[in-house]
Amino acid sequence: MNHPDHPELAEAFNKDFERTTWHDETLWFVRQKRDKAVYPVPEFQDLRTLASEIKDHTLSNLDNYLIEFEENATKNGVKVHWAADATEHNQIVMEIIKNSCKVEGRNARLVKSKSMLTEECHLNGFLEKNNIDVVDTDLGERIVQFRNEPPSHIVLPAIHLKKEDVGETFHKHLGTTKGEKDPQILTEAARQHLRGKFVATDVALTGINFAIAETGSFVVCTNEGNADLGVNLAKVHIACMGIEKIIPKLHHLSVYTRLLARSATGQPVTTYTSHFTKPVKGKEMHIVIVDNGRTQQLGREDFRSSLKCIRCGACMNTCPVYRRSGGHSYDFTVPGPIGAILSPNIDLHKHKSLPFASTLCGSCSDVCPVKIDIHVQLYKWRQIVGQANELPAAKKWAMKGMAKVLSMPKVYNLSGKLARGALRILPHGLTHNQSMNPWAKARELPDAPKQSFKEWYEENRK
Amino acid sequence: MKVALFIPCYVDQFYPNVGVSTLQLLEKLGVEVVFPMKQTCCGQPMANGGCEQDSKGVYEHFVETFSEFDYVVTPSGSCTYHIKKHYDIIEQTPAVQKVRKSIYELVDFIENVLKIEEIPNSFPHKVGLHLSCHGQRGLRQANASEITGVRDGQISKLLRKLNGIELTELERNDECCGFGGMFCVTEEAVSARMGQDRIADHLRNGTKVLTGGDVSCLMHLEGIVKRQNAPIKVMHIAEILNGNQP
Amino acid sequence: MFSCSKFHFEGGLGIYLSQKRKMTSREKILASIASNKPTLVTLPNVPIFEGDGSIERFKTVLEGIGGTAVELTTKAECQEAIDKYYHDLVNVASDIVKANVAVNLDTTKEILEQVDLAVIQGEIGVAENGTVWVPESNMLNRALPFITQHLVLVLDKNNIVANMQQAYDKLEDIGNYGVFIAGPSKTADIEQSLVIGAHGARSMMVLIY
Repeated sequence: MNHPDHPELAEAFNKDFERTTWHDETLWFVRQKRDKAVYPVPEFQDLRTLASEIKDHTLSNLDNYLIEFEENATKNGVKVHWAADATEHNQIVMEIIKNSCKVEGRNARLVKSKSMLTEECHLNGFLEKNNIDVVDTDLGERIVQFRNEPPSHIVLPAIHLKKEDVGETFHKHLGTTKGEKDPQILTEAARQHLRGKFVATDVALTGINFAIAETGSFVVCTNEGNADLGVNLAKVHIACMGIEKIIPKLHHLSVYTRLLARSATGQPVTTYTSHFTKPVKGKEMHIVIVDNGRTQQLGREDFRSSLKCIRCGACMNTCPVYRRSGGHSYDFTVPGPIGAILSPNIDLHKHKSLPFASTLCGSCSDVCPVKIDIHVQLYKWRQIVGQANELPAAKKWAMKGMAKVLSMPKVYNLSGKLARGALRILPHGLTHNQSMNPWAKARELPDAPKQSFKEWYEENRK
Repeated sequence: MKVALFIPCYVDQFYPNVGVSTLQLLEKLGVEVVFPMKQTCCGQPMANGGCEQDSKGVYEHFVETFSEFDYVVTPSGSCTYHIKKHYDIIEQTPAVQKVRKSIYELVDFIENVLKIEEIPNSFPHKVGLHLSCHGQRGLRQANASEITGVRDGQISKLLRKLNGIELTELERNDECCGFGGMFCVTEEAVSARMGQDRIADHLRNGTKVLTGGDVSCLMHLEGIVKRQNAPIKVMHIAEILNGNQP
Repeated sequence: MFSCSKFHFEGGLGIYLSQKRKMTSREKILASIASNKPTLVTLPNVPIFEGDGSIERFKTVLEGIGGTAVELTTKAECQEAIDKYYHDLVNVASDIVKANVAVNLDTTKEILEQVDLAVIQGEIGVAENGTVWVPESNMLNRALPFITQHLVLVLDKNNIVANMQQAYDKLEDIGNYGVFIAGPSKTADIEQSLVIGAHGARSMMVLIY
């Protein structure tokens, strides 16, 4: 099955020079806001180390913490479910909704706040097929839901859209004036529209940012208030989490709540940091714990630390490649640098171009609040792609050829001499033929000197 | 101390002047330098391309070439990084371990082994410094903006001491140039765009001479400069410190 | 999957049992974790970092995130403050100042929707980020802080701490539900333009006494 890979999608993205500039500058602006928030915190690097080490420890004791979490949550009157994969997750969510809502003459109604896990499981489509109306209430998510697109960023779902695009979408779906693009007015329209949905909903679903083993509680971080509004007006709260969202103790939250928003958007903290422990009397609370490939990643020594991710998106904002290719070019729920080290675990063949969609500049690793060595893992995934014979044939044989030549000094010297010789003789039109030589699309080749350094040394120094 | 010079493959073939400047500079600083003729390459391009297993022969050849020396100096942060970090896949014989410790990027060697803080020279030009990722975030030879807002590092320290020099203040002090090895052709669109954005930043802020520690970056940026006919001269830091003028 | 070797080497009883009963997902997941997790890594100790826990700092940061801070001499001055800043708001829910909308656990959505202003007690303020801990027991109804158009939190200045380590240290019990609220609701989802007042409160004030 042939599907476009990152280079192809990135090339298409770059065709619009101005829009690429706009996308790059918008995300760089978010990176700058992050820097401004980070620099004044003297212990920020210590916090990163703590956050990293707490998660390293947790992953090494994950089963026991999950059991502890389940025990405590259950004692609190929360129902805990386990889903091995996306299909099971979707099934469980659907059953909870159907069992708790006996509605007549209409579909059951669900409001959802942001949950990348549910995107990963393609929950919305499944529920719609089963006669459940789903409304994404995070503004960015609602926008892409209207447009029938996936989000392009895990924190800023609609970052790839200009306000004119949003205006168009809202004109179509919410009846705002044609051409209206004032974010204030558009947001107000969404507020009114979604208020109605919150009040009318049967069930509310949220993600989980942190699940605390010690108390069986979980924490949801939002800026808009949509998670709490939905949950507190609904009869039933379903909270979905990947197994890696566990942290051991309540006071560990102090570390993550100081890192998350600063890394994600440059705010000192999200507007709402909501701690859920027990449902209101008469209402239901459910937690769905999901594997869906995570335990497999846990078993990969070089890549297990990617499970420490707290989904802040800082790596995307800083990545010069992400900024100039957009989230959709990764074709995976979680794009960008973290996506490129999570996705090959799920489907090595489909995502083989992602570890190479990088210059290994290392900026991602330096902004990661939990110190995932992303750029090191990108390098290591490349070796696995190579060994699984997933490299394009031309590239593979070129690399093997180079390796051979470069281990033999005499052959290397001669090849170099021939290459330079050819470059000096051949006409510019040929050496810089853009369809044969991709380097030459935007660059001149270096001038080929008459002598290599070795030849100069031999002549002048020996 | 026995010091060897390692000239990266693409410098050897396409930018021999950088090699010459490196050699002359080290000699001016009082170092007796040996250049082992049988050297070829550190193996980075293949390894970054996913073929590190195929590169073992190149790694072993490198170690064989350089293991007798106390220091191996090279005008390349990326080669230095690769040898230090990625030669862990071959058997860690004493020779391998020695080479991984004795490989030094040129400026790092000057400041931390020779303990030289200033190279008195005149360079009355507006200079834009490009911080190469391997040297900066890999080897921590300069501050990273992800960690601190203070812009400082080994190369800028030496540059600032040059007579008449004016260092450009860039908008994005340490964004990657977009070369990335094979990335420059496999993800050509993004690579070119990244390089163009770097050049635009330099042009907006008055750079007349663009310099850095890695020829790989400079080769890519110079390619764009030449295609655009931009009024920028590209010089490796070794050339500037050696006293060459643009 | 059963391979030839498994069939030969595994005890007959084991095969019988594993064929008889499928593992639940819970069991599968926990077993998979047990076999894939690394050797135990030490849990670090989180120090209680020091910092600036002054009222000034809290006010500056809160204002930076779109909230308003007003200092009072005593808690009794709250009514005066509300009369001054919110005199044109009609439907008020509160257990601290004069209220005309009674709100409790059983209040209907229809009534909650009408609330213009909610004035409730905050317990801990955090200077580094302007956030205030509001436990359920102070909310009157869990939906109130979010459904109200405008929110006022009342905070004892002695309960302002410097950072989240100090806040969680001070927080003895998170109860059944509790929220750190930092300023009014907001979004920047439309082209990174900051809009104050997304789905939650359009404005937020902290009265510090």
